[in-house]
Amino acid sequence: MTLEFLSPDPAGPNPPRSPLLDVALAAGAVTEVRDGWEGVAFFGDAAAEAAACADSVGFADLSGMAKLELQVPAQSAPADEFNARTAQRIAGGWRCPLRPTRELVLCEPARAELARADLAAAGRLCDLTSSLAALAIAGPLARETIARFCALDLREATVPVCGFRPGSVARTPGFVLREGSDRFLVMFGAACAEYLWETVADAAAALGGRPVGVAALPEIVAEPSHA
Amino acid sequence: MSRLASHAGQRVDHSAGLSFSFDGRPRSGLEGDTIASALYAEGQRTFSRSFKYHRRRGELCGCGQCANSLVTVDGAPGVRACGEPLREGMRVEHQNAWPSLDFDLMRATDLFGGPFTPPGFYYKTFIRPRRLWPLYERVLRRAAGLGRLPRRQSEREWRTEYRRRHCDVLVTGGGAAGLSAALRAAELGADVVLCDEDAEPGGALLFEGRHERARGLVVACREAGVEILERGTALGYFDGLVPIWRGDTLHQVRAARHVAATGTLEQPLTFAANDLPGIMLSGGALRLASLYGVAPGQECVIAGVDDRALERALRLTEVGVNVSAVLDLRTEVDGELPAEVRSAGIELHTGCTPVRGRGRKRLEGIDVAAIDLAGRVRGKVRSLACDLLGVSGAPMPASSLLLQAGARAQYDEVANVFLPKEPPSLVHPAGAVAGHETLDRILLSGAVAGGEAALALGFGDGEDRSRIEAERDELASRAAAPHRASAPAVAFDGRRGKAFVDLDEDITAKDVRYAAAEGYDSIELSKRYTTVTMGPSQGRFSQLGSVRVLAEETGLHLSEVGLTTARPPWTTVPLGVLAGRPFEPAKRSAIHARHHDLGADVRWAGDWRRAYDYGDVEAETMAVHETAGLIDVSTLGKLIVAGPDAGELLDRLYPNRMSTLKPGRVRYGVLTTEAGRISDDGTVCRLDDECFYVTTTSSGAGAVEQWFSWWMACWPELEVTLTDVTQGISAMNLAGPSSREILARLTDADVSNDAVGYLDGVELTVAGVRCLVLRIGFVGELGYELHTSAPHGRALWDAIVAEGAQPFGLEPQRILRLQKMHILVGQDTDSEMTPYGANLGFAVKLDKEQDFIGRWALEHYVDRVPAQSLVGFSCPDGAVPTEGAAVVDHAGKVIGQVTSARLAPKLGRSIGLAMVAPELATDGTEITISDGSRRIAALVQTSPFYDPEGQRLRS
Repeated sequence: MTLEFLSPDPAGPNPPRSPLLDVALAAGAVTEVRDGWEGVAFFGDAAAEAAACADSVGFADLSGMAKLELQVPAQSAPADEFNARTAQRIAGGWRCPLRPTRELVLCEPARAELARADLAAAGRLCDLTSSLAALAIAGPLARETIARFCALDLREATVPVCGFRPGSVARTPGFVLREGSDRFLVMFGAACAEYLWETVADAAAALGGRPVGVAALPEIVAEPSHA
Repeated sequence: MSRLASHAGQRVDHSAGLSFSFDGRPRSGLEGDTIASALYAEGQRTFSRSFKYHRRRGELCGCGQCANSLVTVDGAPGVRACGEPLREGMRVEHQNAWPSLDFDLMRATDLFGGPFTPPGFYYKTFIRPRRLWPLYERVLRRAAGLGRLPRRQSEREWRTEYRRRHCDVLVTGGGAAGLSAALRAAELGADVVLCDEDAEPGGALLFEGRHERARGLVVACREAGVEILERGTALGYFDGLVPIWRGDTLHQVRAARHVAATGTLEQPLTFAANDLPGIMLSGGALRLASLYGVAPGQECVIAGVDDRALERALRLTEVGVNVSAVLDLRTEVDGELPAEVRSAGIELHTGCTPVRGRGRKRLEGIDVAAIDLAGRVRGKVRSLACDLLGVSGAPMPASSLLLQAGARAQYDEVANVFLPKEPPSLVHPAGAVAGHETLDRILLSGAVAGGEAALALGFGDGEDRSRIEAERDELASRAAAPHRASAPAVAFDGRRGKAFVDLDEDITAKDVRYAAAEGYDSIELSKRYTTVTMGPSQGRFSQLGSVRVLAEETGLHLSEVGLTTARPPWTTVPLGVLAGRPFEPAKRSAIHARHHDLGADVRWAGDWRRAYDYGDVEAETMAVHETAGLIDVSTLGKLIVAGPDAGELLDRLYPNRMSTLKPGRVRYGVLTTEAGRISDDGTVCRLDDECFYVTTTSSGAGAVEQWFSWWMACWPELEVTLTDVTQGISAMNLAGPSSREILARLTDADVSNDAVGYLDGVELTVAGVRCLVLRIGFVGELGYELHTSAPHGRALWDAIVAEGAQPFGLEPQRILRLQKMHILVGQDTDSEMTPYGANLGFAVKLDKEQDFIGRWALEHYVDRVPAQSLVGFSCPDGAVPTEGAAVVDHAGKVIGQVTSARLAPKLGRSIGLAMVAPELATDGTEITISDGSRRIAALVQTSPFYDPEGQRLRS
């Protein structure tokens, strides 16, 4: 037997649903099937969504992103070479350090199979795509928004672009990755999706922000590096 | 009206009027006024009534630090009128007076009740007769308290939130020292936040005629990148975290270094009738005049102990206030100030102090005299007519934050105040709070503190370091002792009259002496017995005075009396601000919306939201017995344990053998502590040679993951990985005699009993969804647990329901499992129960080769009779005992406890589980359950109530 049952199946007859889809629909989302996932296209006003990301804050559901946990034997991962605070940009994704023997590899859904194939020889893979939900929070008030529910120090001097921090996100275990000067990826347990959406929406609304479709997010500028 | 002509530095805009009401009457003010300054300008002198005696209280501090001007604004009580900005349309009402502020019936306590209300009277009265206590309580509640909350909940709700802010340097206090510190730290490159309680930073500079300098510093700070939180009150110091309250936001600031530039608090003088409206702090009078353009009086006298009184008198005169005299307790006054005062037409009287206030509703005059060291009048008493007395006792450092951070309060004989000493290394005191008194020293000390804070964090360079060291040396060398008279505990003219040390709590000097005579003679005891310093201003203007009185009464030196412990919050703060947004992390399965659609009764189960039932517990239970039911069990903990040594790990963690499981098989596992007590249970399915799928209880998922991780760290030689996939898997239990049929319709695979037997685990595609299907049964009927990736959970659920399975909730599940005597860890077990006590001895394999967690304990217990045994019981009379009810013997002694109990519709009787003494653990034994006033007879049963052979489960 395999662990295939852990992985969402975009090619199957039932498109996988984002854990944030119900709350997004309640907030006025227009849905689409993208990369095999039933997710949010936008919220009905592309101009306003772009303006939010430019002037205040927008938040978008990226839960369909593939998330692969790679664990390697201790002897192949010396602790003194471990950088706990910086993620590595890869094509279409990130490699995020958890422990010397464990990392979280993020990539676009379309690249998931390729990533699995690339990483299979490196160690043991476990698909956490379904276990973690993800929100991108972007805009000049992104950090202010996150500060309403998370005590991590996300100042640019402390967490520059590519900085990665596990920690408490609205009182649940999560991760924050700085993808850009004004763009953060926040990940948390999928079962907490509705709770986190409400928390982020509440914080963003108080600062003039709103939910947005993925197209409204600013581009990730960080270049892939080859460690 | 008592408005002064417009002058530079005022906050009010004379061209912009505002309308508001006070106790229902229309009033007017100016843009920039506070409520108090607007009312004062219109002649209001009584702002509240005191707590106990209901004496009139007037403006005191003028800056929101005292409790003399507490009012209710738009329904919200406890607003300090002298700090609250005026807004158009405000509805302001008095507090703590009935029927009106001007005529308060409760004043009778002052006139007649004094002998009956000494300190601590409530410990000795209102006790008998006891039956009257409800009446006493109602009367006391009406008489006491400061304001009333609005009755309607909706009027009491408001949005508050937290904002987390990290910075390099936090400067608390935006006066000269604070601004100087913030600017220096920012110029060196630090990320700086500055907070100040006032509407604009600048402190005393703003009303002492140096407002341009203050504003210039503020502009420079902003340009240097300092974030300024005006109207931000630092509530306390919590190991480096300083919460700053600002309106509806609590800024939780975590700084690497702190600069405490919190300044000083001018102290009042203690003499008879020192609480009359019209007696205020000289700084308060100056604020009224300088910032708000309100004359504090027509005939003003200033009384003090040092140069401050003279400076204040001159400044008041500059802005147009008529100051007729200055009373300086010092017998000799040096320097140029005396001549300046006289040149301004102000009489200067040295070596004397007020000994009594005169007036009925407000100040009309004062008695003045020279006093000896004990405060007793020496020589003649003169009367001076005045309607404003500005008092200026020693400036007490506002050192609460520093003391909370770990500094010590030490009495300084020259300054006559307690100064904070030995601050912790991360905290830098600056300015007046550190004992600096002149403006140039205050500014320099701020710059040094800010510079040192930034240097300590690696900002700046060698040149900066040298400069700051030179400045520090200059500060040390320029020290000059203040010329200050020591104010007495009480200036006493030998006649009766209340001399207040604490205006908030109506505590007089006599009260403090009385308490000391009763034995409450330490400052901590005195505080608790008299309530001195426990009012809304928390001792800002009463602590030093009470220490002086206690020192005099006990003969101890002030340094021996000391101060009470400084505690947060610095100011009264609404609970809503501390609560912030309501974060209540709730986990919901991917199928949750369906439960909602079906009208489920959703409740908390640990940190999950779960469906308890869908409206008909009996029907749901019977559906499982008769056709098929479907329950969402996504909350189960789910772990992937993988690697060459995965089996070895599980054998070490479980008393059972897991390494012998074949791929595709499932085994029940109970986890124990090192002491052999049950800690959790679940199942283990072997997926392949190196991969196991472990389930745990819903509430135990996190603890089991930690437990596994801990032991993996203890055994690094094992090559094994662990991943928690609890939230990524939707799981549902399809159970009932029709469940195989339903499953067969949804999959092309063979699901016959031969193909998928009891305790088999198989991969199937069900309704187009890839699943791991475990043939197990918690509810006692033929059943399958389907596990799939959560994004497909809803589709799978919908497909199964569409084929006729009836959703059932947690409550029916509990009835069904109880019929089978399947335990719930934590409900049917306690911290002492071993597997043997819970009839789970089959899950313990002592003949395993490996050592395993709890082995030594279980070897000890295996041949011993357990202290308690878990048994089933049924109640012939149909009563359902409360879970937790006691099992008792014939004498009523407790010999056990009911852990679970329900009415089982299939069986038509009530059943349960109980822990009992082992001698009762045989079939047919009669036991008695004591449940409140009921005594319930029950019969013990040791085998399952339903399908005891498990035939339906294995069918």
